[in-house]
Amino acid sequence: MVTRHSRFPLAHRMLVPLGVVLLAVLIYPLLFSAWISLHDYELTALQDVRFVGLRHYIALQGDGSFWNAMGNTLVFVFGAVALETLLGFGLALLLHRPNRYRDFFRAILLTPMFITPIAVGLMFRFLLNQQLGVIPYLLGKLGIQIDFFGPGLALYSIILIDVWQWTPFMLLLLLAGLESLPAAPFEAARVDGASAWFTLRKVTLPLLKPVLLVALIIRGLDAFKIFEYIYAITRGGPGESTETILYHIYKVGFRFFRLGEAAAKAYVLIAITLLLVALLYRAMRTAEERR
Amino acid sequence: MMGHRLRRWITEVGVLGILLVALVTVLFPYFWILLVSLKPVDLVSRPDVWLFSPSALNWEEVLLRSDVPRYLANSVLVGLATVALALVTGAPAAYAFSRFNTGGGPARFAILAAEMMPPAVLIVPLFLLMYRLALLDTPLAVIAAHSTFIIPVVTWFLIGFFDEVPRELEEQAMVDGYTRFQAFYKVVLPTVRPGLAAAAIFGFVLSWNDMFYALILSGGKNKTLPVAIAGYWTFRGIEMGKMSVAILIAIVPVLVASFFVQRRLVKGLGGGAVKF
Repeated sequence: MVTRHSRFPLAHRMLVPLGVVLLAVLIYPLLFSAWISLHDYELTALQDVRFVGLRHYIALQGDGSFWNAMGNTLVFVFGAVALETLLGFGLALLLHRPNRYRDFFRAILLTPMFITPIAVGLMFRFLLNQQLGVIPYLLGKLGIQIDFFGPGLALYSIILIDVWQWTPFMLLLLLAGLESLPAAPFEAARVDGASAWFTLRKVTLPLLKPVLLVALIIRGLDAFKIFEYIYAITRGGPGESTETILYHIYKVGFRFFRLGEAAAKAYVLIAITLLLVALLYRAMRTAEERR
Repeated sequence: MMGHRLRRWITEVGVLGILLVALVTVLFPYFWILLVSLKPVDLVSRPDVWLFSPSALNWEEVLLRSDVPRYLANSVLVGLATVALALVTGAPAAYAFSRFNTGGGPARFAILAAEMMPPAVLIVPLFLLMYRLALLDTPLAVIAAHSTFIIPVVTWFLIGFFDEVPRELEEQAMVDGYTRFQAFYKVVLPTVRPGLAAAAIFGFVLSWNDMFYALILSGGKNKTLPVAIAGYWTFRGIEMGKMSVAILIAIVPVLVASFFVQRRLVKGLGGGAVKF
């Protein structure tokens, strides 16, 4: 039986179910979306769809709202991911040390990453609300007055909410990375009398780089999808100051019903994210070679 | 010697202190939402009241006199169906990727890319397709949308788990007279059962947590729980207690599940590409 050669080898037959389903729900919609992006597809006029070529793409040049949303998203992604990486790495170092309560801390500290983001958004909207919220109330007792979702501050408050939810993800990956590192280089550094700071910079970080790269890419790409906090808290306001790219595309497509334009914007989003991933990958590679 | 021990003691206390701060930061929001869910209606909007005689009214309202249980059932249905589909299609494919290296590196990369696909790109065509098929506002629409990322995630997880199974296992089974597929089905699959469970739970959690697709494809009568929670957006004072209950209903099962998958999650996320 092992040597039976059918026209379709087993390996290919085992891929058929996956292939069929992904073709239907993923590949076909992707191609359909490209077609939509070249047409004047409006939800209010589905009988009257006209080919417009690249008009939606060209129009992006003068589309202030789109670039504003892209800018907000980049600020959000860089701010949130940087903070999450720093905090996650710090906590991973602390939890990596032998500690009696380690598993307890670990299990609790990881919980936020499993919760539905809409619940996190509403929870913090409530907690941080000026009149109803317990955090402004407690800060008020210390004499601090902050309007967390006021103009100028809202985007940063949303970054902090993301940090609450997603630092655990960085902690999870970086802690696993630390645990998998070989012991020998650390032993050598200890014998040579290297300081903790030196060991961290010259031994731990370089060894951790592959894990760090994976964690940064997964988290970064995920952060681009931010939608729920915006939907739960600000709906893009004040003004358009917290409108992120996914919220913008949602608004254009499903509030203003301009589906063709939304599809084109989504394709531009893919292009920009791919570019960023490539840049990050190259930056990490170059840093590796210089070492 | 005393100085050394003192320094170590200070370090230990410092570390514990920082970890406790992190712990309180994580736990306080849960604690507050639980507290509010038990508050009598008139105290819900009073952040200065921490002590009161608890009331079950919010819980009764949500569990007995609202549609939340139905939305919860929708979420369970969508999650189970999506995960079942993901396991049936993903397990054989992951085995082929792992054992025969079908498609090589590019195939693995395609799975990862599918997993990362921004929902912005798929929502417009999926919406139009579901509209044409008259499936808007049904669980089927959401199941299809969730499949786009949960099938790749589950497949990716399983590649990593299959990579860990020694090849001798199915070779022995085939010597014993099994076909390759029987060896996969009857020998390899049972040995990766913990991995299958972890992938299934993680896939279920991802489906359970999604609001974006569910909001657009099924935001009416057949909401899922996250969409229903988003409905408490209006923030009228009385609603906050009920919102807290709904939030707890959405997060408690997931928190329990998380304790079972935490350990295996790392290996799964690496998908056999990164050896941790």
